Amino acid sequence: MHHANHFYGHAHVLAEYCGLDPEQPPRINGYLQHGWNVVDGLAPGTPYVPGRPIFVWSEQTRRRAWSMGRRQATVVGAPFLYLAALVDQPEVERKGTIWYPFHGWEGQHVKGSHRRLVDEIVETEPGPITFCLYWHEFRDDRVRAQYENAGRVICHGYRGFMWQDTDVRFLRNQLDELRRHERVASNRLSSAVMYGAAVGCAPAVYGDPMHLEHEDGPTADRIRRQWPELHGTHPDPAVARASALYELGDGYLASPGELRAMLGWSARQPAVMAT
Amino acid sequence: MMRLIGGEMPSWTEERPPVGGALYAYIADQVPAGASVFVAGPHDDALVDALHARTSVTCLLRSQTDATALEARGVEVVCGTIAKLADAEKYDVVLALDGLDRLCSVEGPQYDWAESLQALRRALRPGGMLLLAVENELGVHRLVDPSTPTSAQTDGAWRPLGEFDTKPGNPTRLAAKLSAEGLAVDWLGAAWPLPEAPTLIATPNALTDGPVDALAAAAAGAVGRAYADRSVLSDPRRLAAAAVRGGLGPEFAASWLVVAHRAPRPGIALALPPVLLGDAPVIEIAPDPDGGWVRRVVRPEPGRDLSALTGPLPAGRLLEELLLAACLRHDLPVIRRLLTGWVAALPGATADNVVVDHDAFMLLDPSVPAQPEVLRRFAQTLIGGVYTHPWPAAIDLGALTAILHGAAGLPTGVPAIPDDDFAAPDSRREHEEQIRALRRQLADAASRVQWYEAELDKRDGQLRKAHRQIAMFSGHLSYRVAKLGLKAAREARNRLRKGTT
Repeated sequence: MHHANHFYGHAHVLAEYCGLDPEQPPRINGYLQHGWNVVDGLAPGTPYVPGRPIFVWSEQTRRRAWSMGRRQATVVGAPFLYLAALVDQPEVERKGTIWYPFHGWEGQHVKGSHRRLVDEIVETEPGPITFCLYWHEFRDDRVRAQYENAGRVICHGYRGFMWQDTDVRFLRNQLDELRRHERVASNRLSSAVMYGAAVGCAPAVYGDPMHLEHEDGPTADRIRRQWPELHGTHPDPAVARASALYELGDGYLASPGELRAMLGWSARQPAVMAT
Repeated sequence: MMRLIGGEMPSWTEERPPVGGALYAYIADQVPAGASVFVAGPHDDALVDALHARTSVTCLLRSQTDATALEARGVEVVCGTIAKLADAEKYDVVLALDGLDRLCSVEGPQYDWAESLQALRRALRPGGMLLLAVENELGVHRLVDPSTPTSAQTDGAWRPLGEFDTKPGNPTRLAAKLSAEGLAVDWLGAAWPLPEAPTLIATPNALTDGPVDALAAAAAGAVGRAYADRSVLSDPRRLAAAAVRGGLGPEFAASWLVVAHRAPRPGIALALPPVLLGDAPVIEIAPDPDGGWVRRVVRPEPGRDLSALTGPLPAGRLLEELLLAACLRHDLPVIRRLLTGWVAALPGATADNVVVDHDAFMLLDPSVPAQPEVLRRFAQTLIGGVYTHPWPAAIDLGALTAILHGAAGLPTGVPAIPDDDFAAPDSRREHEEQIRALRRQLADAASRVQWYEAELDKRDGQLRKAHRQIAMFSGHLSYRVAKLGLKAAREARNRLRKGTT
């Protein structure tokens, strides 16, 4: 329905979970939430077509969507949890921290001092640090160099745009990296922190939150007020994990059959290949 | 023999059918043999005949035609209006299960409820027993009725008082009115689903302190069967169940049946259980010494094995109500647990015949044969009742059934079978909701069409641009030179290849 359904290879993960070809996920009959957010599950500016379902991660997001007039939200849980259920890796030794500096996106750049942030991270983190940058900051030599001075720098891949160049292994790369680290941290509460907490990393959110061009300040403050258990340099990991799992829709994952029927992938509705 | 007492209505018959049904027949059978019984108003032939076989029966009818037919069956009939009844202190039992509305003819004084009661009391011997049914003007059957008794159009409704009559409005006031007439209440039961043929009669104690969940389910089932395919204002099953669960079962029942005796002390006693249930067989539900509730078939139905109905009454809530509540809460984990447990334990039972107690799934009525397509029926309950549920985009029965199959852990390849409606009350409130939902779906569809048109325009623009570029490049001089060059190069390569082989 919308090209954001393919971001991070989400549609591909769900196709694999449903027993379909992960290389050619059928068109999803609706909008799949592609990142944790505090609105209705849709990214700002998504051209919503009325009557189509929004597949959101959590019941809380569904309630929020309802209050915003989106009556068609259905809770499916985060694709990351489906992937975690699919990929049963042997436990490897966890070392250090994977740190996700808050990123902007193609249309909205982040403002703040990367150098000051790096200094604070190095001062706080006890072990080796892996910095994971968003693709367009990773490609920016100047930004990348500031992090390379302090640790290993990686990028999980390109999330894709208009169904083109999607790195379908994005989420797998992320899952693999998270399972190799003791801690996951960021300067903003984000999907990555929740993913990490969900797969056994001790989460932390601290440091200069930076800000986006034209960003809504009160929303960032609201997030800190509502999820204090996920903020700070060393929040209680058990409490933080429970909170993160709730946000990701743990306990709400559908069976492959139910998911196929919900996404319009069941046998009675022949799959239409995505363009 | 027929006695014409005055006020009789020749060439006229009652339009509404007489009161009857299995439960009233069973109760009438409890009247001691040999008693003198006065049956006031129209009662079912089978009931009267059964009484006539065991007791000395006199029937009061205002219709001379009906009285003649009854007389032809050998029953003694008093024909006329109740104001002319002069049988003082004559009967052991007065049976008025039709209520007191059809005792006055068009001739003479028009008694209200209290005056009719006084007339019947006078006919009782001291210690005699009155079995009286009183319709509840605020019963669920009235609340869902699209028509109103106060604008009745039938020939028998020449004084359609409805709720403006003097009849009591709840069991407590009923007992008080009887007491004021020197009639002491021995037993009182609330009857569902309709005054003319109850299939569930339960005492207020049983409805409030007894197996409330099972009785709520029984009340919902009783009205569901009575109102299958009938036009109603709103679904009486939900009202009935909500009333019983909320402790308001007696207040919302269709009628009350009272057994009273003329003071000072009863000459005859009836032993009635707390709950009677059934539309052909009769089942009683009563407490056992251990504090539980047990069922017992007190009147079997020929040709039907009801042995499974004898034993403890299953405790717990009705699956249908649990599922609906979980759908309204969007509680997917609970919905999946209920669906999975249901289809694993009782795949042939409809959701309104399954009781859930923690993780145990039990049949409410084990005598009901297995049903097909139970998940599809529940999908229809969701769609037909316009209940909010977690899959709002699944607006057709097939799509929602497939999802329910998936959620229950069954294969989702649901066969496409025609949308034949399962019998259910035809509710106007749900029609309103359906119209609202359809309007929204139409508006959504219109928006989608606009969106697709805009997308089409955009893609058309892109296609035109691509065509222009192709045309431009294919006709351009440099393109033609490059094409010729490419052709020459390809020929040279082919010549070289031929030369080397």
